[in-house]
Amino acid sequence: MYRLNLNTAYCKGCGICIEACPKNAIASSGRIDGKGHVLPQEGDMKRCSGCRLCELVCPDFAIALTEDASTKEETDEDK
Amino acid sequence: MTDTAHPMLKYLKTTGPSGPRLPFIMCPGCGAGQVLNYTLHAVDQLLAEGELQKKDVVFISGVGCSSRLTSHYLQFDSGWTIHGRSLAIATGALLANPNLKIIVFTGDGDAAAIGGNHFIHACRRNLNVTIICINNGLYGMTGGQVAPTTAAGAATTTTPHGNVEDPFDLCRLAETAGAAYVARWSTAHPRQSVKAVVKGIRKNGAAFIEILSQCPVHKKTDPVEMFKELRQITARSTDAAAMASGKIPVGEFCDIDKPDWISRYQRIIDQLRRQEDHSCTV
Amino acid sequence: MLKSKKLIQPGTHYLQGAEACAEGAMLAGCRVYAGYPITPATEIMEHFANRLPALGGRTIQMEDEIASASVLLGASWAGAKAMTATSSPGFSLMQEVISFSIMTETPMVVVDVQRPGPGQGYITTSQEDVMQARWGHHGEGSIIALAPASVQDMFDFTIRAFNLSERWRTPVLVMAEETVAHMRERLVIPPLEAIEIVDRRQPQDAGILPRDYLPYGHGQVPPMAIWGQGYDINHVSLVHHEDGRVSGYNAQTHFNNVDRIRRKIEDNVAAIADVEARYIEGCRHLVICYGSVSRTAVEAVLEARRIHGVAIGFIRLRTLWPFPEAKLRDLVPGVETIFVPEMNLGMMKHPITEALRDRCRKVVAIPSLGCLHTPDQILARIREEIQ
Repeated sequence: MYRLNLNTAYCKGCGICIEACPKNAIASSGRIDGKGHVLPQEGDMKRCSGCRLCELVCPDFAIALTEDASTKEETDEDK
Repeated sequence: MTDTAHPMLKYLKTTGPSGPRLPFIMCPGCGAGQVLNYTLHAVDQLLAEGELQKKDVVFISGVGCSSRLTSHYLQFDSGWTIHGRSLAIATGALLANPNLKIIVFTGDGDAAAIGGNHFIHACRRNLNVTIICINNGLYGMTGGQVAPTTAAGAATTTTPHGNVEDPFDLCRLAETAGAAYVARWSTAHPRQSVKAVVKGIRKNGAAFIEILSQCPVHKKTDPVEMFKELRQITARSTDAAAMASGKIPVGEFCDIDKPDWISRYQRIIDQLRRQEDHSCTV
Repeated sequence: MLKSKKLIQPGTHYLQGAEACAEGAMLAGCRVYAGYPITPATEIMEHFANRLPALGGRTIQMEDEIASASVLLGASWAGAKAMTATSSPGFSLMQEVISFSIMTETPMVVVDVQRPGPGQGYITTSQEDVMQARWGHHGEGSIIALAPASVQDMFDFTIRAFNLSERWRTPVLVMAEETVAHMRERLVIPPLEAIEIVDRRQPQDAGILPRDYLPYGHGQVPPMAIWGQGYDINHVSLVHHEDGRVSGYNAQTHFNNVDRIRRKIEDNVAAIADVEARYIEGCRHLVICYGSVSRTAVEAVLEARRIHGVAIGFIRLRTLWPFPEAKLRDLVPGVETIFVPEMNLGMMKHPITEALRDRCRKVVAIPSLGCLHTPDQILARIREEIQ
């Protein structure tokens, strides 16, 4: 499973990552932060395919996907 | 756990001895940051494939929001230069060191208004440069004035009663002037943009890549709306019906192979150096 | 010579000033030339177009003067010594680039073969750009400008211009005139080992690694990294910190940045500025001149001394900017009249007056527009004044 890592110092809450995600895995936090930005947050990350379009379209280099190692190990053990 | 930072941050100077440089100065949702992201992905790919050496990559920009990308952010050799003159400066750099892989960030005003003359001559010379033109159809940095790419009739701060001019088609301009590779995409075409930049850098000659971009502040429109709209108002140039209905053509318009300026001049250098020497005293 | 693969050889030559300028540049290491045709400077570009490729350099005729000057920026940043030559209208077009070059501390040489103005003016000789040389660039900062007076000077001063631009990381102007670019004279070139060539100091020379490099730091003249060597140098002309950052603006940073750039030149006038002085001892009057006017002015001075018994001295400014005020004050005792013949209506007369007002009773301009003064013209004005 993938995890979303948001750099809240860089993110300006433009929302393009939410729009660009083909799996609707990213959601809006709905909260205005101290700078007036409405930041995104993880939505249903089980939907995330790891395409990394969110990383690609981010104007501020604020979002990054990481693969959750513990989830990966589970999958291997299951096999 | 893998690194949680954005993969392209390794190419940026996020901070320095005198203080932090990020977050970018660009407005929330501005397309310029996206174009930088696409460009760095392209450079990253070519570096990984061994086609480029990082030390040879040079970014040059002029003035404007598009040109701010080099202001102090890049972990590469770069120059944040004079409005409209990046291509003349790039010409000089190549004349001194033809091995440099030069990428020029420019805007529609920087390239086609004040820089118009240098733009057409760089294309005519088939200068080995990748020109990435971030076209938002206006002058952003100075507050939203009309540009040579603004639609007829549009209201801007300097055409408040409507623009009485027709816009350039920058790709046709580049192609007619002689560029070897010409393409247009938008910020809403991320993967196509990356591929185009890769092709542009690989091209030996002038590569002009226009990327339509959103300016949410001066268009007073939500960035996500503009991002979606870019997809809606564009269509592949090969889609005849879409072209007939007035969509903006995107895609590759020109991809030819012809010698660049440096290789043509090199023949002269080589020929002269081969000849018999004549004494240089009177 | 045009077909030679070699640099110009030591010995005696007979050349046009334009050719001497180009040959001096090539000998100094210039390997990139960009220009635009304009009378009376075009011969310089044509000479480069013929000669430079055989030496492995590249000449390009650009689409205008702005582009020509801009080429020098990129070439210099990529490690080359680069030059352009233009005349007065083209010089006006280059001022933004020159201003940018001052702020980015980019070595480059611009030759202005002056012709009269304003506007299209004429295509003869002039010294009407000498104030523009100092103040034509917008903004603060300082600049170096040399005034050749002979074909020999066109050669020597062009080499010196490159050396100064490399040493001080600054644009250097060679303020020639149509007279000196078009005249043909003897040029004597010493053995090449005797000619000093200066190259810019790079961070590698100071043992500074890329991770420690401050593009605008490490001293009054920052070592300059060349593109393509892994130093990730960004050239920027917005007010900046020593590390090249442009955010975190404050008045002190601004002052530190711009004042250092100005003082880099102005604090070092003694090393940079050059004058030639003759017959100063015991003189009651003085001629101060520069460029090709000094050729006829010295004749007037000699005739005044030998035939008319006038105790008049002669000073030639070899450097116009930074203005050699201290050197002039050291040289000049009290005199009655200072004569300043210029091919303009009185320009260098102003800093001369500012420097020496308390050392004389009067400063007299001797103007000429569009043509070189004859010795008689200068002498007549001197005699008229001191009667």
